[in-house]
Amino acid sequence: MNTLRFNTLQRYRPTRFKKVGSALLLLIAVFTFSLVTPSADAHDNTKIPRLANGKPDFSGIWQTTSAADYDLEPHSNRKDAPPGPGIVEGGEIPYLPKALAQRKKNFENRATDDPALKGYTLGVPRAVYYPEPFQIFQRARDLTVIPQFGHSVRTIHTNNTEHPEDPNDWWLGDSRAKWEGDTLVVDAKHFNDKTWLDRSGNFHSDALQVVERWKFIDPNTIEYKATLTDEQVFSKPWNISVILHRHREKNFQLIEDYRYTLDYDQYYPPKPDQK
Amino acid sequence: MKNNVSHLKLKLSIKSLVILAITTVPMFATSADDAKTKEVKPQEPVAAQQADGPSYRNEASFPKIASGKWTGPKLADGQPDISGHWSNTIANHNNFTDPQGGIPNDPAPRRTPLGKREDRAPSRVSDPADGQVPFQPWALEEVKKFQVGFHNPTEPKFIEPLARCAPGGVPKSFYWHGYEIAQYPGYVLFVFNNGTRIIHLDGKPHLPEKIKLWNADSRGHWEGNTLVVDVKNHNGKALFGRSGEFISENGTIQEKYIFSNDGKRYNYEAVFTDPTVYTRPFTVTIPARLWTYEDKPNGWHFEARLAKHAGKEPIVEREERICAENNGGFGLGARK
Amino acid sequence: MNSNLGKRQRAFSTLILGALISASLVSVAADENITPAAQEKKSAAKPVETTPPAQTRRPREKSFPKIPTGKWTGPRLADGQPDVSGFWSNTIGNHGNLTDPQGGVIGEARRTPLGPREQRAPSRVSDPADGQFPFQPWALAKVKEFQIGFHNPTYPGHVEPNARCAPGGVPKSLYWHGYDVLQYPDYVVFVFDNGSRIIHLDENKPHLPEKLKLWNGDSRGHWEGNTLVVDVKNHNGKALFGRSGEFISENGTIQEKYIFANDGTRYNYEGTFTDPTVYTRPFTITIPAIKYTRAEETDGWNLEARWAKHAGKTQILEHDERICHENNGGFGLGSAQK
Repeated sequence: MNTLRFNTLQRYRPTRFKKVGSALLLLIAVFTFSLVTPSADAHDNTKIPRLANGKPDFSGIWQTTSAADYDLEPHSNRKDAPPGPGIVEGGEIPYLPKALAQRKKNFENRATDDPALKGYTLGVPRAVYYPEPFQIFQRARDLTVIPQFGHSVRTIHTNNTEHPEDPNDWWLGDSRAKWEGDTLVVDAKHFNDKTWLDRSGNFHSDALQVVERWKFIDPNTIEYKATLTDEQVFSKPWNISVILHRHREKNFQLIEDYRYTLDYDQYYPPKPDQK
Repeated sequence: MKNNVSHLKLKLSIKSLVILAITTVPMFATSADDAKTKEVKPQEPVAAQQADGPSYRNEASFPKIASGKWTGPKLADGQPDISGHWSNTIANHNNFTDPQGGIPNDPAPRRTPLGKREDRAPSRVSDPADGQVPFQPWALEEVKKFQVGFHNPTEPKFIEPLARCAPGGVPKSFYWHGYEIAQYPGYVLFVFNNGTRIIHLDGKPHLPEKIKLWNADSRGHWEGNTLVVDVKNHNGKALFGRSGEFISENGTIQEKYIFSNDGKRYNYEAVFTDPTVYTRPFTVTIPARLWTYEDKPNGWHFEARLAKHAGKEPIVEREERICAENNGGFGLGARK
Repeated sequence: MNSNLGKRQRAFSTLILGALISASLVSVAADENITPAAQEKKSAAKPVETTPPAQTRRPREKSFPKIPTGKWTGPRLADGQPDVSGFWSNTIGNHGNLTDPQGGVIGEARRTPLGPREQRAPSRVSDPADGQFPFQPWALAKVKEFQIGFHNPTYPGHVEPNARCAPGGVPKSLYWHGYDVLQYPDYVVFVFDNGSRIIHLDENKPHLPEKLKLWNGDSRGHWEGNTLVVDVKNHNGKALFGRSGEFISENGTIQEKYIFANDGTRYNYEGTFTDPTVYTRPFTITIPAIKYTRAEETDGWNLEARWAKHAGKTQILEHDERICHENNGGFGLGSAQK
């Protein structure tokens, strides 16, 4: 009765008999699967990797697929950025008025003023959502985070030590962490003001404090949340959240990315036919 | 290879006038593939499609389709199965309020004289009854300026965006080239030659308000034979066509795609609301029909062929969807 | 607060000053004391409560014990690796001069004359026996050009890359500032102030594709008793070996042995460098290193550490943030202008 329509995107519709048979097979398959495999609950924490001391082991190479580094806030596309829904809870960073003016200035000058252009360090928390992999090496006493980009290495202490008595203003701050169940809660502070939070000019002062929560969603996925506080820049604390995916490609490894050497590295080492 | 009707016309010349005249005519042509030669690679003759399909004519009127139950076939997830190749039955984007009346202020002489208004298809605006878009005065001024500037654009804003293959947006995509509707659990997909609309059926929230899109952001659900769609995040940049009407980024649209139970037609009825541009909401109605393997390929409505395969049943394949890639002045094709 | 940044600047100035002083120190044989002015500067640098103010740098060694390869009898990690994690630094000197490490930068004016050669530490080159790099003639010529150009570089290739905080690479990183050695199942990680080396212990993992050349090379290693054996490829050759201009090219490969003493306090690096496009034969570089375990030994070069603040009783050593460019500048000038 109906005009038979076929087109490139339409699925083949099986006959009634085939439908019933398929449904039966599916039912049997599901039943069997549920018998032989353990619970497929994505939040089954017994399957996540753990250190010998039982704590979740975040070791591995991680990367976000989010466009957060281009702009933490929701944004349409630009010539230098894909669009993104942003990762800021509530959609907007609560800038103090004077700081908002600075942010706008940063945005206009981002092609030259983004500190990441210097190539040495992304700071905290930007390295977490920068679109390049980073590797976590974890022992009982600490996590060492090595981003592929730049040279800086961040240590997150998990040995019940506190922020030092006489802190500096560090590029990566000082990170001290505690476990809340299977969530790693990191308190990072004592930053300088020389890094940005993203490419679009969102920034902070040396009063920045970042409280992070790292938690497995499943063995290959981490949910990363952070609360940023900076009374010189923001009117109140605000939250971000990204998902990090484990790199599982065979033999995947970091490949060093030292942008700052590219302007001069052609002059080394000497070559026989040079000069 | 296909030549698109979209064009960038910056200089009025006799040649342009003639070309313009030729391309405004196709909507009246009895054979719909005269103005645009489609260099389709010769296909194995699989079925009777090319030779014996009916010729296509645009309509001057169309049946209302009542919202109600869907009695046609359904997909596994319960959606009415309306996937396929569709296109509007009235005209292109030349003129929003007199779709078959040619581009407003067109200096090019008409090949055939315009007859009586009532002999042509009604305005795309079905409410208010006068068929006019209820613009605020400032907006109407802008539209009139566009209708003059279109023919000799001295400012970039007088170039109709389709000339550059910008996405057709909402609602213009529905009266431009034919398009495909594809359905999946959780989605209805509209695939146009210069863009895509993904209608999310799962009720997820719209994108943040400050993100504005050419094709906007759509959330839909089925009510019987009607796909009801809520459209936000419209960037307003595509305009409605060569007569210059528009919505702003403050506008929202409530769409209804009302399908006839034989699955061969649907009417688009959509309410456009924008308190910064209009004095009141208004309704746009666009009739569309399904194109199948029984129809002749058509360089505007139905750029398709029959697939080559071992089996017997006719399988329709869509030509590659490109626009910018092959854009150029009439008859010229893309250079780079 | 910029006061802390000022401290940072002073700390780094001290570091550079300290380096200068140490270089000049070794020209005065057997003199272990630091000039009063420098001492004063150092004391003012970093008044950290948990580290006693008096900081005396360990004296440079003129000789060092050979450590034989063999069994490891010290503590092990859960995965079986010898536990050698910690803060390490070489005992001889910096990258000023490869064949006469305590002899000062070649061509540099000296405050005091050099004494007899045998009173200083031997060449970094332990084989061949003459302590010289077996360069092909063209390469030796380039090295000599560098040794002149270094003092007044008119060609960018005569700027020693560490000056710009380029990664120290292999082997220079091992005789620059002190570094961390960290161990994990499947990895040994070296963290330097200006870069990292990740030694993959999974030797089934192939090296990176040959055309990828890295400042720190690409390393695959395994343990043999007390020795970490590492195969280094993908070396880009750009870091050079130091201020005397020796180098390897991107065609070079290195076979390294890190031989640890069973008491865990020392190791000797013995690396065999092969590059048929630069050398006439492979040669060996030997670098002795010791472990630093006390915050009191913080000296701005080998160690920049403090005792951690915590409720417990044990002493936990923490290293300071590893930066280089971030605080780079001319001698005594402190952090970069921009």
